[in-house]
Amino acid sequence: MSPAVTEAVVLQALQKVRDPDLGRDIVSLGFVKDLQVRGANVAFTIELTTPACPVRDKMKEEARQQVATLPGVKQVEVTMTSQVRAMASQRLLPGVKNIVPVASGKGGVGKSTVSANLALALARTGAKVGLMDADVYGPSIPTIMGIREAPRQVGNKILPVEQYGVKVISMGFFIQEDQAVIWRGPMLAKMIEQFLGGVEWGDLDYLVVDLPPGTGDVQLSLCQQIPLTGAVVVSTPQDVAIKVAQKAIMMFQKLNCPVLGMIENMSYYVCPHCAQREEIFSSGGAQRAAERLKIPYLGAIPLATAMRSSSDNGRPIVLSEPDSPLAEAFMRVAENMAAQISIRNMQGQLIQDIQITF
Amino acid sequence: MPIPIPAEIGRANQHDVRIRWNDGHESVYLACDLRLACPCATCVEEMTGRKIVNPLSVPANVHPLGISLVGRYAIQIQWSDGHSTGIYTFENLRRLCPCPQCRPAGKAGS
Repeated sequence: MSPAVTEAVVLQALQKVRDPDLGRDIVSLGFVKDLQVRGANVAFTIELTTPACPVRDKMKEEARQQVATLPGVKQVEVTMTSQVRAMASQRLLPGVKNIVPVASGKGGVGKSTVSANLALALARTGAKVGLMDADVYGPSIPTIMGIREAPRQVGNKILPVEQYGVKVISMGFFIQEDQAVIWRGPMLAKMIEQFLGGVEWGDLDYLVVDLPPGTGDVQLSLCQQIPLTGAVVVSTPQDVAIKVAQKAIMMFQKLNCPVLGMIENMSYYVCPHCAQREEIFSSGGAQRAAERLKIPYLGAIPLATAMRSSSDNGRPIVLSEPDSPLAEAFMRVAENMAAQISIRNMQGQLIQDIQITF
Repeated sequence: MPIPIPAEIGRANQHDVRIRWNDGHESVYLACDLRLACPCATCVEEMTGRKIVNPLSVPANVHPLGISLVGRYAIQIQWSDGHSTGIYTFENLRRLCPCPQCRPAGKAGS
């Protein structure tokens, strides 16, 4: 005769399962939902803070095992879901839970390619994702995402173009290809305001913002107009790039925008003929810089011809070669980034904590 | 490295501003002092940092009409004399804290 299984016993067992990123057990984090005990059958749902959770499968198996080994339990059914936590309520974009700018110190580090692939990688996990191309001077997101249509306008709002499951807005939609944007600061601020408040983003888990390189007006306007979840800084590995990337990090720290981490792009090249790994721009520079600056390192993306050609052809690598090592690298980086966002939002030293009662 | 940020920004009395910081510290700023500490380009010369606002041009009873957040690093104050262009960063506000702990005797005033 087996002892009766109770909810309390199951919860106690599940307290042994920890979320490695948040550093607490899944019961006290409130992840365990819909717990049902019917005789020897136990069913429950684990609600994660992001569908892009890097330890999703491991956690599911661990939870299942913890409960399955309880005396009296015959069958365990674990359902995994996710509910992305919002960074804070903000008035400008009430439906957007997290705004993540992708920045770089200098140009040419592949920031737009990284932004597009990160957005697609997040969308692939099931998250609702938007991609805002704030690089006014060289908007390349329409090319990389293969978008030819123009956004429609409904009332006084602009509808983003939906491509590959991601909602996209870009300066490139509003200018001819042979036109140049030669704007002063106030106009850039106005554009950022339009792209945030004037666009019907709807409900989004993540809004990825592709910034122009550097530490100028667009970055400042974005940080002033809306509380950002945290910035991601892309750099190539060589010293000269890392040094400039540090300035971007310093800018975000000065503006009290958390830095979610650093990504090393063009980290190394694997020769398709002899499979030898060549470190063209040296390697590991971003990781060392991240350690020194005490910010998370989100991962490395290799240099590859397929990356360039997929971007030029308007079908980013995460989409065109989903099983390739390149796409895998992006999935890992996106997961690490989503984990950092969850950590920030759960720990929360957030803007919503600032009360103004004047 | 993380700079303190305000937990609460409110009134110390009818006109003056009180900030309770997330590290427990509390600052009370006289409205007039805070107005004269405005860091905007019409109050401070950009290249030299020299103060160019004329204190006599600011009414002594100047006070905030409203305070709003700027991103997550600063506040903007709408002053009763019509001025509102200054962005007071949290870092700067903390530096301006006039309490005896932050400004030991002899170093009082800015």
